[in-house]
Amino acid sequence: MGSSGASGDLSGEMEVDAFRRLFPLRFYERHLLESVRPDARPLGRARDTTVALGAVATADGSAMAKIGCTTMLAAIKLEVMTPPLDSSDEGSVAIDFHMPPICSPIVRPGRPAEVAPVVSKQLSDAIISSGMINLKELSLVSGKAAWMAYLDIYCLDADGALFDAALLAAVAAFSHLQIPAVTVNDDGRVVIMSGENEEGKLLKDPVNKEKRKLTLTCIPFSLTCILHKNYILADPTAEEESVMETPVTVVLDSSSRLVSLYKPGGPVLAYMSAVQDCVALTRQRVKELQKILSDAISDMEVD
Amino acid sequence: MSGKTATAPTTYSPSPTQKKRQPIFKDVDWIRPDGRGFHQCRPAFLRTGAVNAAAGSAYAEFGNTKVIVSVFGPRESKKAMMYSDIGRLNCNVSYTTFATPVRGQGSDHKEFSSMLHKALEGAIILESFPKTTVDVFALVLESGGSDLPVVISCASLALADAGIMMYDLVTSVSVSCLGANLVIDPISEEESYQDGSLLITCMPSRNEVTQLTLTGEWSTPKIHEAVELCLDACSKLGDVMRSCLKEAASASQE
Repeated sequence: MGSSGASGDLSGEMEVDAFRRLFPLRFYERHLLESVRPDARPLGRARDTTVALGAVATADGSAMAKIGCTTMLAAIKLEVMTPPLDSSDEGSVAIDFHMPPICSPIVRPGRPAEVAPVVSKQLSDAIISSGMINLKELSLVSGKAAWMAYLDIYCLDADGALFDAALLAAVAAFSHLQIPAVTVNDDGRVVIMSGENEEGKLLKDPVNKEKRKLTLTCIPFSLTCILHKNYILADPTAEEESVMETPVTVVLDSSSRLVSLYKPGGPVLAYMSAVQDCVALTRQRVKELQKILSDAISDMEVD
Repeated sequence: MSGKTATAPTTYSPSPTQKKRQPIFKDVDWIRPDGRGFHQCRPAFLRTGAVNAAAGSAYAEFGNTKVIVSVFGPRESKKAMMYSDIGRLNCNVSYTTFATPVRGQGSDHKEFSSMLHKALEGAIILESFPKTTVDVFALVLESGGSDLPVVISCASLALADAGIMMYDLVTSVSVSCLGANLVIDPISEEESYQDGSLLITCMPSRNEVTQLTLTGEWSTPKIHEAVELCLDACSKLGDVMRSCLKEAASASQE
């Protein structure tokens, strides 16, 4: 901890932890002067990030993403629907972000966190508008049946940068998603083809002959930064988010095109140069995240 | 996207409906779906400190049953609460939407919440945190059978991790009665065909039972046998949990 300077402020009368709780902003500003953060990161660096695919056995695709202590578990379950008339050859994706009471002291049962629906909406916007998924690939029988992909993301541990971790878990879950082989039975319902109903299978034509994966193009990745005075802090922790209240979230796709930029107010009015710095940080971060995701995918294929 | 959800189409799962496999359980000799012996528990994986934001937490994995429990507090009680000399315990159990093979609603499980509360209440020294509340929240990530006993055991581990004073660890094991056989620590499939079930929650080193739930059809000698089985398994689980806590404590000292 590079905090010896902070306690020296009150000539050692107060312990570091007490100072941190009583004067959080001054505690942080002392660190920022030295261009370091309490967890020993430089301002522009994100926390250690890991992705593990296939965490949930009951889902068709799943992933767990960790950025520092922030942990997200995403799982996709495929169900069959009749596609609406105006998009008869397309499937659909429904995205929901949950913050169960286990994840943070702020959330209590029956009183859901206010940020949850906000993150939920941001996630669907980023995923749908990036064009990562070709909805036509989710079609089964044009006009009759298509896949509805229910993506549920659970925050297991909330320690800042929730959107970044949730988006990472979501795209990882989609890259792990396997569409099962299905066939249409006599009642006109789509059922999974399993080895056991061998004799029945011969009579009907399989709609989807073998398990397949989606082809993902332009995968979106994001980085949230906190603006405070002239400082830009990448990938904030929950404590940093609570002390300094101007977040900027940049979403770029894998070829560094801007998908969305989100600055929900806050006391710092950003100059364009600050926003450009955020975008530049995100561009670096996208490269890191791409590598982490592709490593996770290749680890999965070896197993 | 929001425009589409307004007219959310009805969907259904393409998984085949459950096959009738009940007859197998009626025979005297059959093999459990996961190949265990009748009186053999699933291997337990336990770890404390799963959630950093909580005062204490634990993750438990028994076969396919995966549970996280977070403990918050002791902290201020809700304003509407009356004054209380002793501490309060507040429990909540919820499921993820993907916990079960068919996608669920992921809502709170009221029955389990109250069962968890009753199972833990007697073990916690509530006098040690007067006027405040300890919150115990559980999330079932994947439901693979015997969910409640796993939640209860995991919750007591999380309470210990949070440093909440207890008389003893609380461990819980259930037994299903399937025809002529008793199977311990049943998986979902076995639970769905059971004739009766027995769940015991106890404090193993004090040899005290905090909760006993008996449902279905039982004969007296069967009950005796099942209780013995459960208590034996509970004390073994207690040892596993104790060694998990010791490991965590020695790791944090280093």
